[in-house]
Amino acid sequence: MIFYIIRRFLFLPIILLGISLIIFVLFSRLSEYQRLATYINNPERLKSTDLDKLIELYGLRDPAIIQYGRWLKNVFSGNLGWSYVGKEPVYNAILRRFPFSVELTIFSVIPIILLGTWFGVLSAIHHNRPLDHTLRIFSVVGWSFPDFVFGLFILMIFYSSLNWFPPGNLSIWASDILKTSLFRSYTGMLTIDSLLNRRLDIFFDALRHLIGPVITLTYVELAFILRITRSSMLEVLQKDYIRTARAKGLSEKVVINKHAKRNAMIPVATVSGQTVLGLLSGTVIVETIFNRTGLGSFMALAAQQLDYASIMGGTLFFGFILIIGNLIVDVSYAVIDPRVRLE
Amino acid sequence: MNKPSLLLDVKDLRVFFYNDNKEELHAVDGVTFQVYCGETVALVGESGCGKSVTSLALLRLIDSNGRITGGEITFAGINLLHLSKKQMQGIRGKDISMIFQEPSTALNPVFTIGDQIMETIILHQHVNQKEARDIAEGMLKIAGIPDPGKRLLEYPHELSGGMKQRAMIAMALSCRPKLLIADEPTTSLDVTIQAQILELIRDLQQKLNMAVILITHDLGIVADMANRIIVMYAGKIVEEGNRQDIFKDPSHPYTIGLLRSIPRLDIHQEKLSSIPGMVPDPVHFPSGCRFRNRCPLADPLCQQEPSSALISDHHFVYCHHWKRKAELQAESFTNE
Repeated sequence: MIFYIIRRFLFLPIILLGISLIIFVLFSRLSEYQRLATYINNPERLKSTDLDKLIELYGLRDPAIIQYGRWLKNVFSGNLGWSYVGKEPVYNAILRRFPFSVELTIFSVIPIILLGTWFGVLSAIHHNRPLDHTLRIFSVVGWSFPDFVFGLFILMIFYSSLNWFPPGNLSIWASDILKTSLFRSYTGMLTIDSLLNRRLDIFFDALRHLIGPVITLTYVELAFILRITRSSMLEVLQKDYIRTARAKGLSEKVVINKHAKRNAMIPVATVSGQTVLGLLSGTVIVETIFNRTGLGSFMALAAQQLDYASIMGGTLFFGFILIIGNLIVDVSYAVIDPRVRLE
Repeated sequence: MNKPSLLLDVKDLRVFFYNDNKEELHAVDGVTFQVYCGETVALVGESGCGKSVTSLALLRLIDSNGRITGGEITFAGINLLHLSKKQMQGIRGKDISMIFQEPSTALNPVFTIGDQIMETIILHQHVNQKEARDIAEGMLKIAGIPDPGKRLLEYPHELSGGMKQRAMIAMALSCRPKLLIADEPTTSLDVTIQAQILELIRDLQQKLNMAVILITHDLGIVADMANRIIVMYAGKIVEEGNRQDIFKDPSHPYTIGLLRSIPRLDIHQEKLSSIPGMVPDPVHFPSGCRFRNRCPLADPLCQQEPSSALISDHHFVYCHHWKRKAELQAESFTNE
């Protein structure tokens, strides 16, 4: 088990190097002038300086391998260039927005996995009976809905008509308090920070703003987990060891919840990991619709405005997150399935 | 010797399955037999003859597309078919245990051996974790597993096939059942391990004084283990008798064919005998005697259901023509 994890960790730098290389190669297709943008921390300087001199200064016409080495060195020291969209260094822009995306992911993934596996197991137990059909239709409708359409429905109902769940991250009064020195930021996640600051009012305000996007993401993503759980559970229920468990005199509840579920969860764990990673990097549309600050909406804006530094930095960051995430998924796999531990 | 007391009395058991076309499959059709305390009864027949379904029906573990549609299963004086689900769970694993053909798939891969054995013990004997562990360790030791304390913590994939079957046996016997159903317990094991496992079952049977229903198509095992033999064909019993009756004086044409198909060392044979044809499709079992389309003795009388004929004490046969068995030559069962 330990060796398995260590070996996975040893591969980590190699994969990261590969990602950085791909990003660099893509980036090197741009002209020197476009690439120069990532080196300029203060746009004012561009007006007074000769661009060609700057290109010489940063060695943007040097051989690719030297440029790659230099860029890598910058990346390691946390210098990802200047974000034109964020009006701050890319590194800061990402770190400031990432917690918001993490927060939305955490709040969405809990109902997605809990409801998805619960419905999936119910569906499998009631195989081809009315409850199974109902759940499958419910989930397929959600899956077929584009998230921007469903998100707009939610906004129309719960914001326009009922005014329960407004868009954005926080109400204006609450974000004003955040700017004062009374409120200390610990994690960057509003719900957690507000609790640590003992501001229940801000906590509930942040929660109120989370509900809309969480409902949207849950309904849209639920189907995937449900389907995997259902098919995996149906397969497991046919296995000999389920018959053994019944022959031992275990109640149907124990047979399902202990013997069947534990085995059925193996593929679900992988898929859940992918869902989490997908949410972390792929909430672009939901963040945009609900007008939330976050990494998704930031990247969308950066792409629209051709902010190369932000796109590059963001891509590298997402790559990093994906690899770490996959590592966690693989380790959790080994925890659930003892057969993986030996290999 | 006193006549041992009756443990299991199965009367006219019927198990029907329903396929996707809503057709009825009469997998077990009117099976009647008894098992006495401490004896070994072998249920013999080709694949698909209903022997496994019969054994699963005893535990009421028929798959959801099948149903016990008639009959009585009386175990130690209780009709199992009248018990509630909960009462039935109290019987399974405690009074009637079962071991299966394929130990690698019959054990849950994600729980340790110890966990799986202790689960049964805690469920039926109401002991705590520590006591259950001690009982489980003791059972593994009895089942001939070396270093049982360590094995308790291992997962099924860390054990060999023979060890897994020993662990299954330890699990099945951990609550000292009165009846063990062994569904082809050695089919997936190699020959030397087979002998050890059978020896273990026989040994534990004597120690615990339990009855064993041994389901197999291996007549060598039957000759070795069984006190009584029940031969099944296409969901019905065709012949039942003591071991000597069946091996020395087989009376149903099917039993005779089955015995002829075993290679023998003492008789020179160019070719192995076999019964011509195949087991009929369960949706279209022939009326009357179900063996008649493969039987060399068949005539129009066989379209009527044969009743049981008593040949000698405890030796029954369901055949109209059992008295003509001498006409059956070895050649009649040779596939040319």
